[in-house]
Amino acid sequence: MNTTQRMVYFACVAISLVLIASWLWPHSSAGTGLNLENVASMPVSDDGRVKPLDTVARSSLLLLSGKQSVKVDGRRVEAIEWLLEVFARSQNAITMRVFRIDHPDVKAQLGLDDARNTFSYGELMPSVSEISRQASLANQITPKKRDPYQRQMLLLHRRLFVFNSLAALSKPYVVPPRSIGSGEWAPVTSAQGDTVTEQFKALIAGFQARDHATLELTAAIWRAEIDSRQPGLLSKASKEVWFNRARLFPLASGLYVLVFLYGSIGFIFSESSGGWGLALRRAATSVGLLALVVHTVGLAMRIYLQGRPPVTNLYSSAVFIGWACVPIGMMMDKRTSVPLGLVASSVIAFATLIVAHNLGGSGDTMQMMQAVLDSNFWLATHVVVITIGYSTTFLAGILGLAFVLLGVFTKRLEGAKGQALGRSIYGVVCFATLLSFVGTVLGGIWADQSWGRFWGWDPKENGAALIVVMNLIILHARWGGMIRQRGIAVLAIAGNIVTAWSWFGTNMLGVGLHSYGFTDSAVFWISVFILSQLVMIGIGLLPMRLWRSGTMQRAVAASTA
Amino acid sequence: MAKDVLKAFASLKLTVVLLVLSMLLIFAGTLAQVESGVWTVVDQYFRSAIVRVDFQIFVPRSIARIPGAIILPGGALIGAMLFVNLVAAHVSRFKYRLKNAGIIVVHLGILLLIVGEFVTGIAAREGRMTILEGESSNYAEDIRSCELAVIDQSDSQDDFVVVVPQRLLSHDSATISNGLLPFEVRVDQWMGNSRIERVSQPDASMSTAFAQMFRAIPLPPANGVDGGTVDVPSAYITLIDSGHELGRYLVSVHVNQPQQVRVNGRRYLIQLRFARDYKPYRIELIDFRHDKFVGTETPRNFSSQIRLIDPERGVDRETIIKMNHPLRYAGETLYQASYKPDNSGTVLQVVRNPGWLIPYISCTMVAVGMLFHFGRRLSSRGVSRS
Repeated sequence: MNTTQRMVYFACVAISLVLIASWLWPHSSAGTGLNLENVASMPVSDDGRVKPLDTVARSSLLLLSGKQSVKVDGRRVEAIEWLLEVFARSQNAITMRVFRIDHPDVKAQLGLDDARNTFSYGELMPSVSEISRQASLANQITPKKRDPYQRQMLLLHRRLFVFNSLAALSKPYVVPPRSIGSGEWAPVTSAQGDTVTEQFKALIAGFQARDHATLELTAAIWRAEIDSRQPGLLSKASKEVWFNRARLFPLASGLYVLVFLYGSIGFIFSESSGGWGLALRRAATSVGLLALVVHTVGLAMRIYLQGRPPVTNLYSSAVFIGWACVPIGMMMDKRTSVPLGLVASSVIAFATLIVAHNLGGSGDTMQMMQAVLDSNFWLATHVVVITIGYSTTFLAGILGLAFVLLGVFTKRLEGAKGQALGRSIYGVVCFATLLSFVGTVLGGIWADQSWGRFWGWDPKENGAALIVVMNLIILHARWGGMIRQRGIAVLAIAGNIVTAWSWFGTNMLGVGLHSYGFTDSAVFWISVFILSQLVMIGIGLLPMRLWRSGTMQRAVAASTA
Repeated sequence: MAKDVLKAFASLKLTVVLLVLSMLLIFAGTLAQVESGVWTVVDQYFRSAIVRVDFQIFVPRSIARIPGAIILPGGALIGAMLFVNLVAAHVSRFKYRLKNAGIIVVHLGILLLIVGEFVTGIAAREGRMTILEGESSNYAEDIRSCELAVIDQSDSQDDFVVVVPQRLLSHDSATISNGLLPFEVRVDQWMGNSRIERVSQPDASMSTAFAQMFRAIPLPPANGVDGGTVDVPSAYITLIDSGHELGRYLVSVHVNQPQQVRVNGRRYLIQLRFARDYKPYRIELIDFRHDKFVGTETPRNFSSQIRLIDPERGVDRETIIKMNHPLRYAGETLYQASYKPDNSGTVLQVVRNPGWLIPYISCTMVAVGMLFHFGRRLSSRGVSRS
């Protein structure tokens, strides 16, 4: 590398390092001045999983407000502090605005200020019976037929229920069994006289009095008691607290933005004087590796904490799809003259992490598995393979987008370059066909093993089959000479639509065994995505003379003749 | 001439057209499940030669009502055509060289998969075996069809049972007579799906206390949307003995107990029930367990501790059937499917599918073939590039 290249490279990598360092740097919250570190990492059992109080606090607050902290008079109150206020049933807990209500009719029905969308428990208290009445009315309607108003009322009712359960100390289950394997966790309300119950109550009192010494002492006794009853839980819980605070996935998505910027600008200016375009591309690869490391650590932490293979629900499938793309994209770039694999996978990784972030907004993302899904073997084989099938189909689709955008609007794909990119897409489609087929059939075999039916035409199964058929269409149309490079690219974009529909759309139908949780806004975003892809297909079908890289097709024709 | 026909059937264009049609069909067949039950859809879309696809399924009724429909080839036709297309291609076009070995294995695997789906469609049988704790059962019920059983218990050893299948019952004013039946059965009103409710005024025209106190109301076919997923038929029937009416009865799958009928002083029991498939073995439920995650309603595990008794084969053993852990016995597989509401009993899915092994074999073939084919192509390209 020459001096310019070195400077560009180091500057770009340095930016990402600064981002990582500032993100992970422990920042202290001013707050009450109390040290809640030991309390946050206290293991309890909630929704069937042993987790630190910090996770309970964050997921409860997320469920109520969609955020992991709450602003009070301009001060940021951390989730754990909010939870202790709720446990203490303090005045603060009643006045903090943590209930999010968006629907204007719901606000009007409850006589709430239409200009705001967060409300305190105190403000909702007069309407509790009305909310119950509205919720029970909505409950009489089958879930699929409820309108947004009814869904919002039910959600509000559930939020109030969670808040009340926390305030009544019936959630989470705080008292551990006497020893490993002896009985179950219990809430403090049904374990009166237990040491843990006593310490828990004393700790809440200490917190309310802002009594530092009591807080420290009771937490220490509590921790010692847990450690003697259930050795090993404390250290696992503090790792989870670290994982909660590090927020590795948002960090990774930030890094992927840098990768995309460096990689795409570098590609467009790859013939720049001084070679700084090349340096940018190298920086993209290095930052891509850093992002992959962060992403991998996050995934590995989830696997460790949950004791499960990486994909267990919609949230984790989103995290995993992006992750699987990145190494594939990097490997592709090593063997082609049009290195866009990493750029394309950074787009997918960024987008899917944003999707994951939004899916994670309704609480703990490490729920326990339904009995029918409780099989680590099939989760590790069928689910992982099919998810990588989604990854690779998206990768082909994003490369297809790159083909259309670069071909129509730039001269970057002139001549042999367009051909090379077409070949890359073809290669990814081959890989995607293999993975999506094997993943789909493995799913059939799981179904045969668990309920005696290899194929049931369930929407999720059909969605998986559609991805396979889409890829088969591309391959056979190519082999039959019906399409060339551009046709592959355009059909690969159609593959994006099919994959998005299979991954998300089938959940919108709300039928079948696979239909797990879904939200209204997702319907909107998936429609936007599908429309955008249709527009891109339209652009891709423009006559070749309007393409700035129009000579590409002539080169293709010449080479195949 | 014959060569041209073969060539047309072997063309890749036909392959692509068929694949596009199958995409449309699968997409439509998925959307159709919002309004119709999955079994209706499977029969209409995937196991039929042609299907009428209403445009309405593409748009929720709440947004707009759309008339009209399009005719598409059904799954059976597309499957058969793909089969022909594939065979023809290999007969006329493919060159049998090592280069093509991978793709040939893949295609053989696909042919096998299509055959497997046909075998399943024709030969597979499934039923549900419901057993209460401490009791045993030797039959599975087909919850997709029912039968009217007429039971003669006059023999002290064995019951003599005659059953009338659903296809004979399922149209109004059908009359069924047979030498084995002690009376004629006339169907006054058939309800493919129904619910039962108590009436305020007893209906004196009915012959049993049950039919006087309750009435059946027809429901549209269950689609899993408005509650139920299973059709529960009922029927009003009149029994006739040599020209004169014995009485009007309400029979329903909702009712677990048979009703009594007297003909010439002899006592018979009649019952509308899910069609039964008797097994050579008997399953006794020793214990049913349903664990939940602590503090939640999320099921953690269902398991049935059972005793399997088959005197003919000299089998009498205990085993556990649970989620993802079925029992395979005598060509049948028993799965943990469901349970009685208060955990008092278990519901096992009993499946006989002679073709169950086919997908395993074809999947392996396709995977190995694709790895070989794509692996060779991609690696050779990598070598030539470097």
